[in-house]
Amino acid sequence: MLPNRAAVEGAADQMALAEVKGRSLWADARIRFFRNRAAVISLIMLGLVAAFALFGGMLAQYEPDFVNFSLIGSNAYLGVPSIETGHYFGTDSNGRDLFARTVMGTGISLMVGVVGALVAVIVGTLYGATAGYYGGRVDGAMMRIVDVLMSIPFMFVLILMLVIFGRSIFMLFLGIGLISWLDMARIARGQTLTIKNKEFVEVAVATGVRPSKIILRHIVPNLLGIVIVYATLLVPNMIIFESFISFLGLGVQEPATSLGALINEGSRTMQFGFMWQISFPLFFFVVTIFAFFFVGDGLRDALDPKDR
Amino acid sequence: MLSFVIRRLAVAIPTLLILVVLSFILMYAAPGGPFNSERPLPPEVLANIEAKYGLDQPFWRQIVNYVVSVVTQFDFGPSFQYKDRSVNDVIAQGFPVTLTYGFWSFVVAVTVGVSLGVAAAIKQNSWIDYFAVGVSIGAQVLPNFVMAPILLLIFTLWLGWLPGGGWNGGQWQFLIMPVIALSTSYMASIARITRSSMLEVLNTNFIRTAIAKGLPMRRVIWRHAMKPTILPVLSYLGPAFVGMITGSVIIDVFFSTGGIGQFFVNSAFNRDYSVIMGITILVGTLTILFNLVVDILYAWIDPKIRY
Repeated sequence: MLPNRAAVEGAADQMALAEVKGRSLWADARIRFFRNRAAVISLIMLGLVAAFALFGGMLAQYEPDFVNFSLIGSNAYLGVPSIETGHYFGTDSNGRDLFARTVMGTGISLMVGVVGALVAVIVGTLYGATAGYYGGRVDGAMMRIVDVLMSIPFMFVLILMLVIFGRSIFMLFLGIGLISWLDMARIARGQTLTIKNKEFVEVAVATGVRPSKIILRHIVPNLLGIVIVYATLLVPNMIIFESFISFLGLGVQEPATSLGALINEGSRTMQFGFMWQISFPLFFFVVTIFAFFFVGDGLRDALDPKDR
Repeated sequence: MLSFVIRRLAVAIPTLLILVVLSFILMYAAPGGPFNSERPLPPEVLANIEAKYGLDQPFWRQIVNYVVSVVTQFDFGPSFQYKDRSVNDVIAQGFPVTLTYGFWSFVVAVTVGVSLGVAAAIKQNSWIDYFAVGVSIGAQVLPNFVMAPILLLIFTLWLGWLPGGGWNGGQWQFLIMPVIALSTSYMASIARITRSSMLEVLNTNFIRTAIAKGLPMRRVIWRHAMKPTILPVLSYLGPAFVGMITGSVIIDVFFSTGGIGQFFVNSAFNRDYSVIMGITILVGTLTILFNLVVDILYAWIDPKIRY
C-alpha cells in the first residue's frame, strides 16, 4: 500500500518550499529589526544626523571659525536665525555661524562615539574572549584587573591626565579608549564561557587548532551579535562622556567644538534670551542619543538570543 | 561571610594603593612644576620653596612620603595654589556640601526609581506603566549637564521660583535643582531595571504558588517578590554612585554650590596638582568603599552567592 502519489509530491513540494523559506540567523534578525518601528525611525534619524554632519558644511554660508566682528555685541537682533543672512541657526556669542559650528560639533561628537565604540569592540572583545576561553587562573587575574579598573572613578583620572599632559583631542580619545572596553570585556567573557563548551570548539581543540586561532576564528564570530548590540549602546554613552568633559571646558579645544561644548556655551547665554544658541545643539544632541538608544534596543531585541 | 568580607577587602586595599601611586606618578610626570610661573622666580627662592614642599627629594622618597602621609594621617599635603590652606582644608570645606546634595540625590533616585519601577511592573500596560517607561526613556537622554540648564531656564528664568545657584547653608530652595539635575537619569535607569526585574520575578513559579495559595497581593510583592527584584538594582548602585559623584562636578560648576567639584575644576585649570590628586583619591576611596558595601549587601541578600 503506497500512499497517494500526489500527496507525497505535495509534501515534497512543501518541504522544498520550507527549505527556500529557511532563514539564517542574520536574516531572521533583520526581519525582527525592521518590524520594530521605533528602531527603524531612529535608524533613519541617525542617517539624517550623519548626513548633516558630513554634508552640512556644504550648505553652510560661513566657515565654522569665521568671526563676524560686526555681529559681536549685537547678537540679539543681528544674530538671530534667519535664511536671509545665511545664519540658519543664528550666530554664537562670538559672532560665528552656529549652523557651521553645529555641523562641526555633531561630527566630532559622532566621531568620538564611534571611535570609543571601536576601541571597545576590538580591545574588549579580544580581552574578554581570551579570559573566558582560557578560564581558571588566567581568567581570574584578567577579570580582577577589569574589576579594579572599573571601581576607579575614571572621569577624575582622565581630567587629571588632561590637566597634566595638556588638553588635546588625542588625550580625549586615549581616555575614552581606556575605559570604554571594560564593560565589553565582561560581556564578551560571559558569552565566551557558554560558547567554549560547544561541540565545534571541542572539534577545533581535538584537531589541534592553536588557541589564538580558536579565539579569532571560532569564538569571536559567534560573539558578534551581542558585541554589535552593546557597541551601539556604547556610542551614546561615549558621546555623553565626551560632552561632559567638553561641558567643563576640558575636552575639545577652540576653534574645534563638540555638542557638549556648544551646549555649555549656549547655557551661558540663554538668560539673555539667545535661546537658539542652546536649542539647536541640544536638539542634535538629544536626537542623536535617542536614536542610538532606540537602534541599540532594536538590535538587542533582534540579535540577543536571551530575549527571544 | 567573614572570610568573604576579608577577601573583598584584600582586593579593595591594593586597588586604593594603585590609585594613589598612579595619580602620584601622573603628577610627577607632569611637565613643569607648580611654581614655574611666567615670571620665573630666582633660583634660590625656587629651591627654598621646593625644599619646603619636599620637591627636591628623589622620586622614590617623595612617593613613599606621600603614600605614607595619605595612608596613615589622611594628609594630602599643602595646596599649591591656595597658599594658606592645605588640601584637607579644601576638602573639609567642599565635601559636606557635596555629601548633602549627593545623599539626597541618591535617596531620590533609589526611592522614586524603585517605586516607579514596581508600580509599572504590577500594573503592566496601564497608564502608570506607560508613564514610567516614557519617563525612563526620556530621562535617558537628559544627563546632568543637559538637565541643569533646562531646570535653570524653567524654574529660575521663566517661573522665578528657585534661586539660580549658591548654597546658603543647604536651605531646601538651594537643594532642589541640584538634586533633580543629579538624580534624574539614574532614577530613570533604576526604574527601568526595577520594572524589568519585577516583571521577570512575577512570572516565576514561586510567585504563582504564593498567589495561588491565596496570599494578598501586597504581601506577595513585599515578602516574596521584592528581594529577588532588588538584586539587579543593587548591582547597578555601584556604577550609579560613580556617575553621581562624577556628576557632582557639573552640579558644582553650574549651580555654584561650592562642593568639591568646584575646587576640582578650578584646580584643573590652575594646575593645582595636590588638590586634584587629593580629590581624586578621596573620590576613589569612596567609590571603592561603596562597591565593597554593595558587594557585601548583595552576598547577604542573595542566598545563591557562595562566598
